Amino acid sequence: MALLEVRNLTKHFGGLAAISELDLDIFDSEILGVIGPNGAGKSTFFNIVSGFYPPTRGRVTFEGRDIIGLRAHQIAQLGIGRSFQSSTLFMDLTVFNNVFIGFHMNYKEAAWMSFLHTPSALREERKTKQRVMEILEFMGLAELKDQVAHNLPHGHQRILGVCIALATQPKLLLLDEPLTGMHPEETSTMLHLIKRIQNSGVTIVLVEHNMEAVMRLCERIIVLNHGKKIAEGTPQGIKDNRDVIEAYLGTEEESETLVA
Amino acid sequence: MKLNLKEITLSIVLGIIILTLPLIIKSPYQMHLIIMLCINIVLGLSFAMLFSTGLITIGAAAFWAIGAYGSALLVMNLGLSFWLALPLASIITGIIALVLGSIIVRAPGVAFVVQTMVINMIVGQALGQIEFLGGWGGILGIPRPNPIGSIKFVSKTHYYYLILFLLLLTVAVSYALYSSRTGRAWRSIRLNPRLAQTLGINLFRYRLLAFIIASMSAGLVGSFYAHYFGTIEPGTFSVFKSIYIQIYSILGGLNFYLIGPIIGALIMTLVPEFLRVGKEIEPILTGGILIMLVIFLPGGILSLPERTRSFTAGLLSRREREESLH
Repeated sequence: MALLEVRNLTKHFGGLAAISELDLDIFDSEILGVIGPNGAGKSTFFNIVSGFYPPTRGRVTFEGRDIIGLRAHQIAQLGIGRSFQSSTLFMDLTVFNNVFIGFHMNYKEAAWMSFLHTPSALREERKTKQRVMEILEFMGLAELKDQVAHNLPHGHQRILGVCIALATQPKLLLLDEPLTGMHPEETSTMLHLIKRIQNSGVTIVLVEHNMEAVMRLCERIIVLNHGKKIAEGTPQGIKDNRDVIEAYLGTEEESETLVA
Repeated sequence: MKLNLKEITLSIVLGIIILTLPLIIKSPYQMHLIIMLCINIVLGLSFAMLFSTGLITIGAAAFWAIGAYGSALLVMNLGLSFWLALPLASIITGIIALVLGSIIVRAPGVAFVVQTMVINMIVGQALGQIEFLGGWGGILGIPRPNPIGSIKFVSKTHYYYLILFLLLLTVAVSYALYSSRTGRAWRSIRLNPRLAQTLGINLFRYRLLAFIIASMSAGLVGSFYAHYFGTIEPGTFSVFKSIYIQIYSILGGLNFYLIGPIIGALIMTLVPEFLRVGKEIEPILTGGILIMLVIFLPGGILSLPERTRSFTAGLLSRREREESLH
């Protein structure tokens, strides 16, 4: 059984179908790439799965459980984590505190416990601080832990976004264009990190514009165009797929006029 | 929390001054001013909690009123002791906040502000129109707190220590909440509600919790106010008062939920007093202060040291850049 099953998913914005009749499966421990031209419905797909938009029609199940109608925090509680396209962080807080807040769900404490500084509250705090550092070390941000998020360079902000998502200890991690605006060196760091996250047992879905990076990283790729799935397969299969080439480059006549 | 020697000394000196204030200040009028200041600080601190979740309210005075009227009616009609009415008024206010909050807390941004304002107006009208609640003339002759031993609540000093206790209680509860998981969730909602949700934080529940706690605390000082002042009337609990309470937390500083409202209430209560302006001019003055603040110091007064630092740092780095060019 697939970890996440999407059936007949449709989302209309007014008269526009951002996604129409989408079927797809995400299997345990894989990295799935979702690519497509601008406006193909990739982000809409993420926003539905993470509970920010209700779909017009269709069904999404996670570990066999229907998640349509659940709100974003409930979906997070089930184990679906996500990062955002733009740098969505707690900009005024330090790197450390950004990740610390990420542990919200896994932090066992009653308010009165911290007030009285009971041993168990102190232990929980110590344990969580340690786990924050583990994530920062894993992702290579440990040295920047006391920096305020908005002072970080763009690449590090994107990595921090992933760190926060990891703090929720997701089973499925949705990464929304994690490579946007990165220079080649940052890109290869990020790819390396994503691979490491997968190796630690997290299933990953990646929405991305950077075709080359997706081809390098993903075992399986789904191509969306105008809200429909037009191709699915291995990187090599996708590269040779005629529909995909047309979606990206237009038909031959069109591309010729473009070249001319 | 790590304190250095200077901070410890400062806290002790400040503590001694606060505890011995009635010995220093002899004028009953000034004592009254200080008691009112303490009430304002508690109100500011309470609704700063809601503000820490990113919600602005113009309805705080309504919950203050519910506590005041609730307590007065419990004591005068049911013959309860003040010491029982005080916590009961707080609980009643909390229950009303739970019911109203469940309806309005979901509303985003401006809609929430307007709804709290409407609640304030409705409560004001209800208090004025319903004869049982005293009408526009209010309730007169609310009894003093029942004496405890030799403390008979005849002098302002006794009231001062009671309100000081309530103030310290509010500070302690606020501090506990802000330094806990709950407080972190509140702050994360204000800083970035979308991101907070993906961390499993239930926006509605955490905001409702802040709304209830803030209202309970307002209800508590409402009860105190009624029995201290002896009379209550709808005019006191106007939308204007609610705006002031919100300003207390904004004026002090956005990221200083504990010290901010204290500084804010201090300035907003004492400055008009010292300037001795008439009641008619006061709103103009405070409005002016607020506009200046929003334009020149959007982070609040406590952001001033940080601002100066980054300003001088900016100047220095510019000089370095210029020097490196030569």
